[in-house]
Amino acid sequence: MKRLLKYNEFYLAVLVVVLCICITAANPAFLTPENILSFLKTASVNGIMAVGVLFVLIVGGQPDVSFTAIAQVVEYAVVLATLRWGGNIAIALVGACILGGLMGSLNGFVIHYFRVTTIIVTIATLNLYFGLLYVFTGGNVIFVVPSMFKHFATLPIFPMHGANGSTYDFSAMTLMWFAALLLGWFILKRTYLGRSIFAVGGNEVAAQRLGINTLWVRVFVFSFVGVLSGIAAIAHTSIVLSAIPNIIVGHEMEVIAAVVLGGASLFGGKGTIIGTFLGVLLFAILQNGLVLLNFSSYWYDVTVGLAITIGMTVSSYQQLRVRRSRVNVKVEQVAVS
Amino acid sequence: MSATTARRRRIPDATLYVILGCIVVLMVGLNPDRFPTLSNLQSMASQLPILAFLCLGMMVSMVGGGINLAIVSTANFTGIITALMLRLLTGGHSGDATLGIAVAAMVVGVIACLLIGALMGWLVAWIEVPAILATLGVMMLLNGTNVVLTRGYTISDFPDALLAIGNGDIYGVPIAFVILVVAIVGLHFVLNRMPFGFSLYMLGSNPIAARYSNINIRRVLLFDYMLSSLFSALTAFVMMGQLNSVKANYAQSYVLVSVLACFLGGVDPFGGSGRLSSMVVAVVILQVISSGVNLLRVDPFFVTAMWGAIILVLIAVNHFTSHWQEMRRLAKLRHPEKPAASAS
Repeated sequence: MKRLLKYNEFYLAVLVVVLCICITAANPAFLTPENILSFLKTASVNGIMAVGVLFVLIVGGQPDVSFTAIAQVVEYAVVLATLRWGGNIAIALVGACILGGLMGSLNGFVIHYFRVTTIIVTIATLNLYFGLLYVFTGGNVIFVVPSMFKHFATLPIFPMHGANGSTYDFSAMTLMWFAALLLGWFILKRTYLGRSIFAVGGNEVAAQRLGINTLWVRVFVFSFVGVLSGIAAIAHTSIVLSAIPNIIVGHEMEVIAAVVLGGASLFGGKGTIIGTFLGVLLFAILQNGLVLLNFSSYWYDVTVGLAITIGMTVSSYQQLRVRRSRVNVKVEQVAVS
Repeated sequence: MSATTARRRRIPDATLYVILGCIVVLMVGLNPDRFPTLSNLQSMASQLPILAFLCLGMMVSMVGGGINLAIVSTANFTGIITALMLRLLTGGHSGDATLGIAVAAMVVGVIACLLIGALMGWLVAWIEVPAILATLGVMMLLNGTNVVLTRGYTISDFPDALLAIGNGDIYGVPIAFVILVVAIVGLHFVLNRMPFGFSLYMLGSNPIAARYSNINIRRVLLFDYMLSSLFSALTAFVMMGQLNSVKANYAQSYVLVSVLACFLGGVDPFGGSGRLSSMVVAVVILQVISSGVNLLRVDPFFVTAMWGAIILVLIAVNHFTSHWQEMRRLAKLRHPEKPAASAS
């Protein structure tokens, strides 16, 4: 129990549970399987991208902001390509991963070779990709997407029947999110590569001395972000069933905030998959709960802002106290000796 | 040249002037009859202040080793508070407000904006939240508050005194541009002639050393974020004057653009360096590019893409020139008998 209290994730989980209880008390419709599956589906896009952001924060401590632009470009490109040449969802997924991975790897190469701050490079690529997308598409919305996206969204995985005869299902997008989380966990905790990512984030020079190829680690991380953005793009297309060139860009801060709230450090080398999951879940519950409690949707930004500001304040204050107590211990030791 | 000065001049002023010259020549070459005209110069001078104020606010926060992501949200917040105050004081007919009422509303707006700055400064200095997070949180909080305050609508109809800030001119020079010049001179004194500026640069380059040099880093940080927010207030008034309206989500893309401008102006994102003069030239470069390209009637998003591409090219050029200088320095060290061309 005492060990649990040390973890940021524990507090976050408590917060999620308390929030669930409060919302359910006000509106029992919240805790129905139908509603839960529905907000898990909506959160899957942000959730998939959040896994990538976690990787970037671990390797460098600075957030990538270009992932939304990558997802946006991939979404548009995949819809255009499938409209022209057909194909099935598996091909679309593979294509999205390749395109996203290539676009992401550019960040990795530039950051590694030119030694520039992550945030500057990714702002540049965000503007570049997003601007080019608009220039080439003229900002046109594609309202008709191939039917395979709709089939994918309504894929029967675990169909259930509600009390009033309606059917609902565990959506394929949620499954993709959980798969991304699982993959992220496996890479971070069970592979040499994952340990290298933590090592580079903790101390790059030390990692280099250990014989870790920092170029490869960095390029992998940024390509991985691109790949996940590609997957998120497919999930997003399947949910909204259209391709709008400015719908994903602009949400990057929200995703970053969720990951940071989940305990990823801005000094690099720290962060967990479960924390990221809980961070995204918290925001999803907030959004869904506000709707169920009949608040206007514009209160969502206020609550998210409050959640981040308060969450950051509390966790920073705790770290401050830990640091102070350490200093005191040192002073006492010196005094004793 | 010591290591610190070398870092401070990652892109020396001279390079920036060369870039500016090249771009002006290029733009004149592309629109010979529309670019070098008085009206274009005037329109550039009236468009420049909004971007420039935001960039200066961002620069002030970056010099202190932080970043202010809430800069545009604070500007919108200030504008909305001022507009609502105007409406409250005049009972709904804000267009007929007298000068006194307009000034009173603006003072309330500035106070609100300074409070936001103080909140960020407090979070960064006392609670020691990383600046990027503290300002991100405040940014999202303000974005939400702005939407709630305006219910998502646009508020318009302002008195002439306010509109003059955006559209008026003195002997052909836009008032907004005059305010910008005054602000730059003021900032020059604050940063380069006052103890606060010196402490700020010290704090940015090494917070621990600054603390042991008896600098009250908390107070400096607090004032730093308040100063940064003050530039948001200036942006807000110019924006209100030019657009004759306030809305929750104006100019959101400028947050990232101002970070880019700081990079172009040679401000170190880790703090401690960044010269005001380079910063001003960098902002002028961005404005010349965007105005020039606009005159060509290209897609405005092409400018967005170009800014991204320019930064990537700059990063590469910067890297190779510093690499080349380093090689030359090493070569000189290896062959000291050869006469050095210039003492560096």
